[in-house]
Amino acid sequence: MIARIASLVVKEFIHLRRDWWLPAFMLLGGALELLLIGWATSRPITNLPLMVYDQDQSAASRALIVSLENTGTFDLLRQAPNLDAIQAAMERGEINAALVIPPDFSAQILSQGGRPALPVMLNGAESVSARAALQAVEGVAGALNERIVVRRLGIDEEAFRGFTPGLRVWFNENLKESYYTTPAELGLMLEFTVLLFAALSFSRERELGTLEQLLVMPFSSLEIIIGKSIPVILIGFFDFLLMLGMVHFVFDVPVRGSLALLLVLALGYLMVELGKGLVISVVSRTQHQAFLLVMMIGMTDFMFTGYAAPVESMPRAIQLLANLVPAHHWLNILRGVMLKGAGLDVLWPSLLALAVLGVLIGGFSLAFVRRALN
Amino acid sequence: MNEASISAQNLTRRFGDFTAVDGIDFEVHPGEIFGLLGPNGSGKTTTIRMTLGLLSPTAGSVRVLGIDSARRPEQIRPHVGYMSQRFSLYNDLTVLQNLRFYARAYGLANQELAMRTSQALEMSGLRGRESALTRELSGGWRQRLALSAAILHRPEVVFLDEPTAGVDPISRREFWDLLYQLVAENMTVFVTTHYMDEAEHCHRLAFIQRGRIRATGSPESIKQETLRGRVFEIAPDDPVRAVQLLRQAAGEGRMPLAEVELYGERVHVVSTDPRLGEGALRAELEAAGIGSGPIAAIPPSLEDVFIASMKS
Repeated sequence: MIARIASLVVKEFIHLRRDWWLPAFMLLGGALELLLIGWATSRPITNLPLMVYDQDQSAASRALIVSLENTGTFDLLRQAPNLDAIQAAMERGEINAALVIPPDFSAQILSQGGRPALPVMLNGAESVSARAALQAVEGVAGALNERIVVRRLGIDEEAFRGFTPGLRVWFNENLKESYYTTPAELGLMLEFTVLLFAALSFSRERELGTLEQLLVMPFSSLEIIIGKSIPVILIGFFDFLLMLGMVHFVFDVPVRGSLALLLVLALGYLMVELGKGLVISVVSRTQHQAFLLVMMIGMTDFMFTGYAAPVESMPRAIQLLANLVPAHHWLNILRGVMLKGAGLDVLWPSLLALAVLGVLIGGFSLAFVRRALN
Repeated sequence: MNEASISAQNLTRRFGDFTAVDGIDFEVHPGEIFGLLGPNGSGKTTTIRMTLGLLSPTAGSVRVLGIDSARRPEQIRPHVGYMSQRFSLYNDLTVLQNLRFYARAYGLANQELAMRTSQALEMSGLRGRESALTRELSGGWRQRLALSAAILHRPEVVFLDEPTAGVDPISRREFWDLLYQLVAENMTVFVTTHYMDEAEHCHRLAFIQRGRIRATGSPESIKQETLRGRVFEIAPDDPVRAVQLLRQAAGEGRMPLAEVELYGERVHVVSTDPRLGEGALRAELEAAGIGSGPIAAIPPSLEDVFIASMKS
């Protein structure tokens, strides 16, 4: 039995070596994407091009512009001569934010009952940068308001003590975006790699016409499944190690919990996805079909993981459904071990959920694939 | 003769409304080359797949070496070899890698593995090209390699599904020489084909058409039993008109002809009445002003039988 399984494993690796672009694409493509996402999200949003139509041209208006630039969020592109220039620049995509300072801006600030106004235009089509711009503008406006209030009340500016929340961020002290994105991407890339390799295992032989030959040979269906699975497990696990190393050493994302636990759980998770991949593989007639199914299932899982949008803010029914997605629990575990340093005492609900799903999916897959092969 | 290597009883397979194999019976004896002859879509591949246990019959059963194919396919597998229409080898593996995969899959190891792969290289004539990629081999070589791989484990029965489709005549000839070698070593060969010349090489044939077996027996007996009457070959001046004329005569019932077919410049006619002689044919043609040329009674070819039975 072992010799027969070994013969299959050897054969699979020869296929992989000949068809080198697929493993290379999966291993390096995944790692490369991780690298790009890590870099792209490693810094806060800065240098958004800004346009200002300053109708006031006063010390107060210039001070406002400088404060905005000092946030680092904006980069003053140029002064606008009129409103039309702003509209045109926004439409051309040159700027994502624009400011209109009314002619009476400083006068309103200085007069005791004045009501200074500050129209701000944001490009809502780019919601991420619009949100960052909004935050920066609100911050600057808040500080300016504070000064106006202090002056109007005639309080000594030095003596005034405002209120600032005593923020302390746990698990990701500097609120680095990459701490959030890279472990999640790492988890998802592992899912895609395993699903795809597993999905191609039988669909490829079926497409080439060799599956029939394989079935006539004295392999039991279990031997075929094991022989086909071993290369997928090895590649998936190697890929995980590669990406974990990159996330840790390139992006300094810590592994605060037990590395051994993380690796064991990664292996467990990988087996669950393997089961799904093998089912896709036997229901697909061609490799293309298998590939499309993987994309469909992978993207659906992606939405349920809570990576793109928090599951807690989804409708109740979707929240329940999310619990059925192994990747959802896997990302919980991954973040828990890496960022929070959590152990089994904390992670057991996710682990239990993953184990139950694993047994169900694995059992179903095994039965389904064996039936399909017999 | 002892127990049959393969025996099918009322073997039937339906796909929805379509009956691919319609209650066929046949027996294959040890050490013979048994041919399942029929046009494309006649049910040959479906039969072979049921025999190997890849497809379960809708009704009836088939046994290989006394084992029911549908119930215990795994018990049959170690004792049979299979070479499918085109895809029994992995194109991205080398010659040697393919042979080794087969050898290990059938549980061969060490010296036995080395010896058998070496024999297979010898038999396929691919020694010296062990590291060639299979996809780079021409059709004939690939066919021989596939056969060598299929019999690497010395199976008792080997199944060949249209083994020489798309292979040139010389390679086909060489392929059949290999098959005779195997039979000399007491292997049983079950082969499907739609080539008449190939079918002539079989010890016994079953002639399948639209899922039913129309005739069984040696090529000789099939010719004699299926085709009652004599076959004449005529070389007339105007073969096309001669065919028209004779068909008309047959259609009007003036001549007892089952078949009038053009073979190149010659015309084959199959008479249903043994009393019909050359003279009657000559008279018929010359009455219409066609020079009949030489007319000879010839032994029927399988093709005559094949076409005659396709039309009936």
